[in-house]
Amino acid sequence: MARTINMLEAINEALSQEMERDERVFILGEDIGLSGGVFKVTDGLLDKFGEARVLDTPLAEGIIIAAAIGSSMMGLRPVPEIQFADFITPAVEQIVQQASKLRYRSAGGYSCPVTIRVCCGAGGGSGLYHSQENATWFVHEPGLKVVMPSTAYDAKGMLLAAIRDPDPVIFFEHKSLYRQAKNEVPEGDYTVPIGPAVVRREGRDLTILTYGFMTQKSLDAAEQMARKGVEAEVVEIRTLAPIDKSTILDSVRKTSKALIVHEDKKTMGYGAELAAILSEEAFDDLDGPIMRVTGPDVPAIPFSPNLDKAWQVNTEKIVAGIEKLAAY
Amino acid sequence: MASKTNRAVMEPEVEKNGTSSNELHLNLYKMLVKCRMCDEKARILFRQGKYKGNFYSGVGQEATSVGTAFSLKKDDWIAPSHRDWTSNVIKGAPLKFCFAQLFAKTTSPDRGRSSPAHMGYPELHVITPASSIAGQLNIGTGVALGIKKLRRNDVVVSYFGDGATSFGGFHEALNFAGVHKLPIIYVCQNNLWAESVPLRLQTALTNLSDRAKAYGFPGVSLDGNNVLEVYDAAQKAIARARGGQGPTLLECKTYRWYGHSEIDPAKYRVKEEVDAWKKKDPVATFEKQLIEKKLLTDAKKKQIADEITQEINEAVEFAEQSPYPDASELADHIWAQ
Repeated sequence: MARTINMLEAINEALSQEMERDERVFILGEDIGLSGGVFKVTDGLLDKFGEARVLDTPLAEGIIIAAAIGSSMMGLRPVPEIQFADFITPAVEQIVQQASKLRYRSAGGYSCPVTIRVCCGAGGGSGLYHSQENATWFVHEPGLKVVMPSTAYDAKGMLLAAIRDPDPVIFFEHKSLYRQAKNEVPEGDYTVPIGPAVVRREGRDLTILTYGFMTQKSLDAAEQMARKGVEAEVVEIRTLAPIDKSTILDSVRKTSKALIVHEDKKTMGYGAELAAILSEEAFDDLDGPIMRVTGPDVPAIPFSPNLDKAWQVNTEKIVAGIEKLAAY
Repeated sequence: MASKTNRAVMEPEVEKNGTSSNELHLNLYKMLVKCRMCDEKARILFRQGKYKGNFYSGVGQEATSVGTAFSLKKDDWIAPSHRDWTSNVIKGAPLKFCFAQLFAKTTSPDRGRSSPAHMGYPELHVITPASSIAGQLNIGTGVALGIKKLRRNDVVVSYFGDGATSFGGFHEALNFAGVHKLPIIYVCQNNLWAESVPLRLQTALTNLSDRAKAYGFPGVSLDGNNVLEVYDAAQKAIARARGGQGPTLLECKTYRWYGHSEIDPAKYRVKEEVDAWKKKDPVATFEKQLIEKKLLTDAKKKQIADEITQEINEAVEFAEQSPYPDASELADHIWAQ
């Protein structure tokens, strides 16, 4: 049985069902228990499972992640939360120096099956420190899986896959998608594999490579351009690391042009890596330059509404990008 | 790694700890000598160019490691820092693998990935350390959370120096452990120097055990060079932890004879200070006590040293004969598959 729910409800359901199914799973983070999470993602879980499985932690991201890593070494499956990606920085020591390297430095003697949930991205005019989308920092660290679903269906399925994964997964939840992303989601157990990208819209004129909140905006832009006779293929990269080169290359070889769209800043953003891969592996198939529509190289999204709007990638900017690349 | 039983069995450690105080004292002495001799051998091998990188000697601090870890069971955990290569020896790791670690051969527990002194041993629950100061202190706190959740009665012993107590992560870990009364013993090996930074520039405190008050659990300052004093305090702390009463901070005041590492001549210290501490040699002073009590004779002392020398020589030979890892294994063990 499937019914339409939003991403927030889908994540809540995944956590609840997995905690029922597997007694090793527990969640921890700031405000997740008594308050049910600042976005209500973990609402109801403390009542259902009690303090032993739903832990309100001290205000200290480092130990939230370290506690998760250490307890996972005892065989548990913790799902710690970082309330805002803007506050992941104190935990970077644990994520990068411990989680990503524990298996490698012990030649497999130790491992840490943790799933770190992180709320990220622009939305609601939240300003400099409640809007950051920094997933690519972690894509740069081999040993970490990095995912960012854009649909409620994928959110539930990929979260379940992440919790069951023997390797550390950073699960990014875009705050604007919590309520905006609504899909048919099965009530029962299912997983969406971590790894494969997905073609959301088929087209022949160019390939848009995108992820997260930009997926729907890219689809909207593609629809607009379709009325002008340009058919854009939209490939959503749900797993940022490890990257599904196969799906991406298949699409670009088919259309011969690539437009990368991401919310995060331009320099050293995810698009830079995609562009390098396409240049290395699809050079002979390209009929135009690899182009990017991205957030600007401006430190963060400022608060004032006009500045907020100016910072963000919107459908108009993507449409302009498609037009330019299609005309080449 | 996952533990399948819900209740740990308290293994009678009769062989190791001895049933009588005398036996225990003799066994503590043997372990002190073993750590001393292994450590000095590791230094010699480095200076002979037998392995590269660096070595962080704990000579002078042996009583802090032996006193705290001697009675641990197999399933108990050690969260080591960079100076705790010999903690693997105390936990029961065969010497041949400890020396293979220094040489970074395939027979090291991490197949040569981790730096020489950064040794862990999964089967004996010694965590393979990162170099990050206070790193294992944090991970060990997480392990203690796991132990508590699984209702096991294992404990974690976490080692770190005076410098680590300045680190933000120290505060986070101890605070968390205090809230949840985690089964962990925090052992601060205060050797008065964080590499070249003296204690007076590290903290306004004299006794680092005072920090425990901020976290709601006991802190004790000890003569870290008196193995019996350390052992007794550790037993109490371990019993507290196993009994669910929570953490203890043991500050062991001690001194490292040599530099921060083998490439550090430690010119920032004065000879008078080093000499004064060498007179408080934890091994020699305990040895003298045992001789005075007639628990140890010169002949027995020589026998112990000879046996350990032989064990070390065999271990070094094993390490030298072992192969280096092949370049083809560079990218192994990043993922589960």
